[in-house]
Amino acid sequence: MTSHCGQIWTSVSEVIRQRISADGFERWFQGVDVVSDDGAKLVLSVPNPIHQFFIESNYLPLVQDAVAEIMGSPRKVQFVAVGSEEPAPVAASHHNAPASRAVVRERAQPPVSSGMNPRNTFDTFVVGSNSQFAHGAAMAIAKTPAKTYNPFFVYGGSGLGKTHLLQAIGHYVIQNQKSAKVVYLSSEQFTNEFIDAIQHGSLVKFRKKYRSADVLMIDDIQFLAGKERSQEEFFHTFNTLHDGHKQIVMSSDRPASEIEKLEHRLVSRFEWGMTAELQPPDVETRIAILKKKAESLSIALDPWVIEFLADRIRNNVRRLEGALMRVASYKSLSDREITKDAIENLLRDIFQEQARRAVTIEQIQRKVAEQYDVRLADMTSKRRPANIAFPRQIAMYLARELTKSSLSDIGDAFGGKDHGTVIHACKLVKRRLEEDEQTRHIVRLLDTQLQR
Amino acid sequence: MKFAVTKEALLDGLQRIQNVVSTRSTLPVLTNALLETTETGLRLTTTDLEVAIRCEITAQVEKAGATTLPARRLAAIVRELPASEITIETDAKNISTLRCGSSYFKIYGLAKDEFPAFPSFKEAKTYTMKQAELKDGLRKTSYAISVDETRYVLNGILFSFKENKLTLVATDGRRLALFDSDLEFPRSHERDFIVPTKAITELQRLLSEDGELQISVAENLVSFELNGSQLVSKLVEGNYPNYRQVIPGEAKERVTIEREALLNCVRRVSLLSSDKTSSVRINFTKNNLDITANTPEVGEARESLAVVYRGRDISIAFNPEFLLDPLRNLANDEIHIELIDEMSPGVIKINTPFLYVIMPMRVSV
Repeated sequence: MTSHCGQIWTSVSEVIRQRISADGFERWFQGVDVVSDDGAKLVLSVPNPIHQFFIESNYLPLVQDAVAEIMGSPRKVQFVAVGSEEPAPVAASHHNAPASRAVVRERAQPPVSSGMNPRNTFDTFVVGSNSQFAHGAAMAIAKTPAKTYNPFFVYGGSGLGKTHLLQAIGHYVIQNQKSAKVVYLSSEQFTNEFIDAIQHGSLVKFRKKYRSADVLMIDDIQFLAGKERSQEEFFHTFNTLHDGHKQIVMSSDRPASEIEKLEHRLVSRFEWGMTAELQPPDVETRIAILKKKAESLSIALDPWVIEFLADRIRNNVRRLEGALMRVASYKSLSDREITKDAIENLLRDIFQEQARRAVTIEQIQRKVAEQYDVRLADMTSKRRPANIAFPRQIAMYLARELTKSSLSDIGDAFGGKDHGTVIHACKLVKRRLEEDEQTRHIVRLLDTQLQR
Repeated sequence: MKFAVTKEALLDGLQRIQNVVSTRSTLPVLTNALLETTETGLRLTTTDLEVAIRCEITAQVEKAGATTLPARRLAAIVRELPASEITIETDAKNISTLRCGSSYFKIYGLAKDEFPAFPSFKEAKTYTMKQAELKDGLRKTSYAISVDETRYVLNGILFSFKENKLTLVATDGRRLALFDSDLEFPRSHERDFIVPTKAITELQRLLSEDGELQISVAENLVSFELNGSQLVSKLVEGNYPNYRQVIPGEAKERVTIEREALLNCVRRVSLLSSDKTSSVRINFTKNNLDITANTPEVGEARESLAVVYRGRDISIAFNPEFLLDPLRNLANDEIHIELIDEMSPGVIKINTPFLYVIMPMRVSV
């Protein structure tokens, strides 16, 4: 028994202690300890088999949640009674080996929520104008699965809350419909299990597992790209569930139409129901997120620190939260007053990365020229045939949207154009965006490529 | 072998023993009953290698011998026979002919040598107790036996002979039933052993309200002798876990409730707790008990019972089946429920030594 294990148990038991009665804790968790942890399986020792039986029957979901919370990822929890030689084979028997991360709730089983982070609920989701629409749709789905928007396809960049939203739907459904079978997994897991099923000739079981779900949630569906057999299998799963009026929820880091090597019949199906985009949060939302996070972690920070962080870190919530944690731990560890300089120093790498992502007008010109296959020189030239002028106008529009440059700066960068020319270009492109699907598509594409 | 027997006696004997026979056995002879003549009549035996039962019935033996016949088929035939007097004759090839009034049956059997020997007892400790007492104890505890085969030590009832008391315990990890009965036996006979579920079921069938029974226990076998029958079973190997750990400490609130009324209320309310994972909620307020259930998109139910209760308000959720089991199997008019708080187990008691611990359901985690 290493001290590492001891530490794990100290933290886990602290979480458990808060959630059950004092008597229950004294009775069942006194004398429990961690024997080993190999990253996938956590073995707990109990004083007597009766502890194992009662913890398994009554507190297993609680223990699993607590472990997932402390360790950051779910573990299979096993018990071993002191004095008996081998670990009992029973623990967490509802997890199949290859499906250890998938959550499958059977009717007779207590709620099992490994695979889904228990903190990812609607309560902890901060809604801003960037996510209002997606959140509203997700909420409607969670309340009445398969009745409103089916399928639901949510997309957005990394760290903007896709997984959070998916799992929030899952938690909500599990909590409110005890009998509903909720399956949550990543598309990579889907592929792995599919391959496994082919290898072991257990396709029937595989199909039964997914096709009997009431709510099927697939995270990061873009990883299905290029995997033809998996796509075909998923296509049939999709049809079965959709025909049976079961809810399907998917997430991706880009719109379905932009996932390369994804069959058209799948793309069209993904776009069938509701599609919602998660955008980077605006500054107010970022502040709200930081405040909520600080509150849930019981961190007290000056308002200016939170505003400073929200101002400097823009398009990734995960990074935002990471920065908050860093500042908070710096404060608690060093016991020094936080200053702007200290934060600058502490978050050097994050800020640098952020800065690198700031788009320059030149990058925009190069990208647009590449996209429309015109010369870079055309961007600054005075020639105005339509095939050159329009890309130039798009580049001006993007420069206006993505950089902080003034109208005349932009005009200068495009070969000494007047600021009125820039305004005209922006207006024109905006109008075209409303009217023309093609333009909208290209601009969106350029936008994501530039910001990546 | 040849003997004559009355239909009633043979049917009674077969019904006592036929349930042990496994329907799908790898060993064909195990689906048969062993019929042996004795000095006073006929002895019938069945076994599934875990549990063996035998009983003696009176018969007129003309020619001594033994054979085995399909137990269930024989019982089915005997049940339908028209007259009372039955004659069975077996030839050397184990083909038996059965005559009764105008009926004639020819049944193929197997040789008695293939039938497993009845377990023999050595160095057994013997206890004598009233059948009614054990019957009562098993009825009050057997429903709590675990059916989870991975927890094999819980697949049976603990018989604990200690300090001139027999304690019976059954638990499945969510509830626990315990029954105590005073019994005289020497100190040297103190012992704990676990009787498997199947033996308990059969034993309950054999037990009657009058008379006594003898319990003998050897190294890994237990025998129950009663009413001319003997049941022998292997014991569950391993030690029963420390069940005392489960029993809660001092209760905060205690309330006396009419058993029948509570049983009916819970049964009705449970109709709206859709499946096994759902629960019924018990709400104690001043002099009132509300039982509620609700299932999203199905509906909800509420029952109210007037009780004498002056403690603080408590609302606690239980699995309705676990609540109904003891209510069904107790005979008392009144039961006592003891509670500590919402998260701690509840205890059901009666005025005689019995205890039922039921874990609350964690409805929202």
